[in-house]
Amino acid sequence: MARRGLGTWVREGVWEIPLRRYLALLVTAGLVTGAVFAVRGLTHDDRSCAPGVVRPRGSTECVGVATTAYDFGRPQLRDAVRAIQRENDRLKPGSYVTVAVMLPYTSAAPASLSDIQHELQGAYLAQYQANHDSNGEAPAIRLVLANPGATGLHWKETVDRLAAMTGGADRLRAVAGVGQSTDNNKKAVERLTRLGIPVVGSSITADDLANGQGGKDPFPGLARVSPTNTDEARALASFAKVSAGRALLVYDKPGDPYTRTLQTSFAALIKGSPYEPQPFTPPADRSQEGTTANTFRQITHLVCDTSKETDTILFAGRHTQLRQFINALGGRGCQDRKFTLLTGDEGSYLTGEKDLDRGALRHHLAVRYTSLAHPDAWARDPARTGGSAREAAALQRLLASAEREPVGPIGTVALDDGQLIIAYDAMRLAVKGVREAVPEGRKIPALSDVGLQWPQVKGSLRVDGASGWICLDVHGNPYDKAVPIVELTPEGGSRFVRIAWPEGKPPAKECLPPS
Amino acid sequence: MHRRLHGRGALFDTDPPGLAPRLLGLRPYQHRAHPFEHPAELPFVVLTGARGLGKSAVLDELREAYKGHTPVALADCAEQQFAGPPADRPAESWSPVAQALLVIAEQLAEPVTGAGRITFPRLMSGLVAVAAGGWSDADSERIRREVERILLLNESGSWISSFAGRWAGKVAAKVVAAATGTGPFLSGAVEATLESVAEGFASRRHQKASVWYRTYPNAGGNAKRGLILLSGHFRAGGTSREHAERYLVRALLADLTEAYTGVLPRMQRLGRPLVLLDNAQSAPGPGLVEAVLRDRSEGIADQVAFVGALRGDGREALRNAVRRALPEVARRGEWTPDPAVPSSRALVVSLPPLSPDDTLHIVGAVCGEIPVPPQLPHAAHRLTGGNPLGIGLLAESAAQHLPQVSSLGELLTADVRLSEDTDGCPAYRELLDRLVPADRLDELTVLAAAHDHDSACALAAALLPDDFGPSDVRALQTRLAQEGLPGAPGRFVGDPFVRTLLLLRLHLRGTDHGAWRTAHETLIAHYGHDGRDGAADAPERSRYRLHHELALGTTESAVAHLRDTFPTRDTRAWLRTLCFIASAPYFHAHDAEGRDFTGRGDRRAAVALGRTDAEHEVPQDVDAVLHLRVRRLLHAVWQLADPLVLPDPKVCDRLRFELEQLSNLRPAGNALLWRASRDWPAAALAGRPLDAPDDEDDPDDRSGEA
Repeated sequence: MARRGLGTWVREGVWEIPLRRYLALLVTAGLVTGAVFAVRGLTHDDRSCAPGVVRPRGSTECVGVATTAYDFGRPQLRDAVRAIQRENDRLKPGSYVTVAVMLPYTSAAPASLSDIQHELQGAYLAQYQANHDSNGEAPAIRLVLANPGATGLHWKETVDRLAAMTGGADRLRAVAGVGQSTDNNKKAVERLTRLGIPVVGSSITADDLANGQGGKDPFPGLARVSPTNTDEARALASFAKVSAGRALLVYDKPGDPYTRTLQTSFAALIKGSPYEPQPFTPPADRSQEGTTANTFRQITHLVCDTSKETDTILFAGRHTQLRQFINALGGRGCQDRKFTLLTGDEGSYLTGEKDLDRGALRHHLAVRYTSLAHPDAWARDPARTGGSAREAAALQRLLASAEREPVGPIGTVALDDGQLIIAYDAMRLAVKGVREAVPEGRKIPALSDVGLQWPQVKGSLRVDGASGWICLDVHGNPYDKAVPIVELTPEGGSRFVRIAWPEGKPPAKECLPPS
Repeated sequence: MHRRLHGRGALFDTDPPGLAPRLLGLRPYQHRAHPFEHPAELPFVVLTGARGLGKSAVLDELREAYKGHTPVALADCAEQQFAGPPADRPAESWSPVAQALLVIAEQLAEPVTGAGRITFPRLMSGLVAVAAGGWSDADSERIRREVERILLLNESGSWISSFAGRWAGKVAAKVVAAATGTGPFLSGAVEATLESVAEGFASRRHQKASVWYRTYPNAGGNAKRGLILLSGHFRAGGTSREHAERYLVRALLADLTEAYTGVLPRMQRLGRPLVLLDNAQSAPGPGLVEAVLRDRSEGIADQVAFVGALRGDGREALRNAVRRALPEVARRGEWTPDPAVPSSRALVVSLPPLSPDDTLHIVGAVCGEIPVPPQLPHAAHRLTGGNPLGIGLLAESAAQHLPQVSSLGELLTADVRLSEDTDGCPAYRELLDRLVPADRLDELTVLAAAHDHDSACALAAALLPDDFGPSDVRALQTRLAQEGLPGAPGRFVGDPFVRTLLLLRLHLRGTDHGAWRTAHETLIAHYGHDGRDGAADAPERSRYRLHHELALGTTESAVAHLRDTFPTRDTRAWLRTLCFIASAPYFHAHDAEGRDFTGRGDRRAAVALGRTDAEHEVPQDVDAVLHLRVRRLLHAVWQLADPLVLPDPKVCDRLRFELEQLSNLRPAGNALLWRASRDWPAAALAGRPLDAPDDEDDPDDRSGEA
């Protein structure tokens, strides 16, 4: 046998004997299967991060829709994510619909991440409240996390995935959140709404990421919780009694949707001003420092050159540039003159900003901005309409219970930036839309019906949000939404000043937008 | 890779398949399955032929080809172990068949590729019962020795049994205790054996085996009783013993069938088991063959491939068997048994002599690098008639003696050493030892010179002891016929090769060739009184006489007879006479007077080529030309017809010329002579025997005869 070849041995010693042949075939099949799995295991580039979440080619970011307790590699989000998962797991199959919270979870900036954390907490609290404290109203709400990437670059994949989740057991019925008013987010919202998926924007304020601008509805099914920049500017104007002769406009050129609408709104307020609006051009990524600090130093000269009646500066820009401008104003020549700088909700970013020259705020400079929401708003400004301390207190109770099981823990909570409150309200609006769309005798609403509920959210059907009443007009924009005016304190915090109203006064009790 | 047999491709070929793979379902030398030719029932193949035709070689080769691939057993019935019982064993508990079954089963039990040992619980029980019949006065040591060998047949050889201790040893102790204890020893031994088969970790198969003897006639469903009856029948001898032996054979076949039954065995074992029986003409061969054939004809089927080898033609033992020559079964067996006749389940295949091509191959294979004279293989084939043993030994002798010795005669007389550790022995003696019954070698040596019964009796009277009379001559004739060496017309020993060897032995017996001379002189005298009684067979008798005179070296009378009868006799008869006379043996060089002398050289060629014509004295009153021509012709034919001499082309040429010349002298026989002038030289060169032209299809010749 030794002289015979291996082939002969295999042929005669194994193959010809049926018992050995079948055993050999079994062993071979086992080995091949093992080898296939081993090779696949070794060579497979596992681009998945979690169920539904993958790293697209050429990217290290995990994007997609997380349906499990996946925190996108951000430990800060872990508690909230787990709390959501606990709540999701509790739901019986078939009894729920899914609402996705779309936010840039993989964002690296600490300020953005903390905003995201707070929004997620708010959304979760709303989910918990919807599933537990609403007399067993159907359907239950399941939350999933949709991440289009830190800059929203992968919005398309995420939107496609969300679209796929509208069917099957997921039954996605709304997307809440969306985050900042960037171009990618705008495209994402445009596509989502074109696919018939209702979107509830929480902190988007840009005018062009809203319906009804110029009489058109480019985003059918989009509802917003925050007032538009225009409304914010109007509220600011009503608060500050800005007039053309007393204000100077500084704006971002070319700007992004947020700054542009703010600029437009401001420009409209001070129409006929003797001072030419002063532009600055920041880098494309507006979180970078760039060379705008020099521009702002020159602008401070102009500020000092204005007539003595001029005491208001309107700033249409993002928070990095706002910080540079405030620092420049701290070193202005005319320290004795008193100025009030008014800007949009970007001002809220400066509350914890280390690079801000807080000394500037002590030299006759007040920085006031609109906030999306503020915890002290209703406690200090007990308006009879447009919002109530009761809703704010309800959220506070929920927050208190979330410090421990079974609601919490949900991580460190901060209300100052208003993100938690606004996300809570946005989620409540989404829940409202979902539940109002449930046909009689059924438990699950049709996808197309949810978006149709937005124009009905008014009057007695309004949402009594923790940030104020949410009465939507026919375009899905909030009517006369309370705008808390907040002032930066030299100590590094913020101080609630008072509530301003886009219409100049709180809405009537009926809260019906005029035609 | 393997030493293959030459000229037996009809058995061993794989593509297209020969008889062996079709029968066994397994390719020879390989572990590869092959479709069966007879899937349901297979023939009992019996190879027949005279001694030296390679039957044993074929069986050995079959064993080699299948060893390790399928269970193979080879029992040579001529072996001493089958001749009689061992010294300490009573004949009543021993028979050749029982011994053969034990030997066969022991060999079949060996594990093969893909499958383990075969166990023989049925045969083992039966053999123990048979052996126990002879233990009436045995000591325990003998019983242990006998029974242990038998019990080993049921040793499975698996690791379980070796783990549990040797099964056979344990059972042997039990059986010995039972057989030597008080009470009936036979039933005790049988009971102990049956219990051991069925007990312990025994499988369902063993349970089945332990109750197999229930069906023994009159056993009444009791296996133990069946075995005791079997033992009794065996002891009784005669036909009772044959009955018991048949049952033992059946037990062996049942065990083998069991080993091939079931899912697992069928997935492990390829083909069929093979049992080879050499020299099946002697006991226990006939008993085994008969038992198997009878069982098969009674419908007790088995799937064991039996191949037996039978000396002679087996016409008596297997009267109704299907008979085929080996080339006929090369591709298809064409075997269908007659349901009514047991012996028709045998397929008797006669082994043919080897072809000239095979001879060439064998000589080439044996001689290897040694240059061989080109005509030697053909001449060897002419001498041996294709006898494989003869060819092999001649080739061996050539390999050992070339190039010093090249004539066939010298190769036959030269010493041949068949193995390293044996002394050399002349090749012809070695051959005779194996081709001729050893007990009648001396008688045959003398009688080989005879032509018929009468001449043999004359020789016997002259040269053999007185107690060897005419009846013994007849007995010897019959014996030769049985062994496949029948006489031929005009020849007491029909096979030319054996006759040549015997005559060579006669010639070389004694230094002065005395016996040789006496034998021929006796025969010359026996045939010598042709002229006196003027009988019708006078030409025949003179032919024999002249043949023997020529054998003694006397050429004159032969030349004279042929010369004188040439003008008058029928040409064909004349040519036949020429051939017969010239077929006289020429074992030793003759001197000028025709006497044997010790030198080398062959005067026949010189005479044939006319070199001695000048010095030869032509008798008075005869046609000198015709005389010399006949003389030359006689010598040429004598030399060319001599199977021991390589044909000489020059002599062939001369032969053709002489015959042509003669044909001119006899217009009536012209055609025949002319044909002989063409055929004989060609036949001589090709190594074929010279013969008078066959005239059946020659119209020209017929007219000449008329």
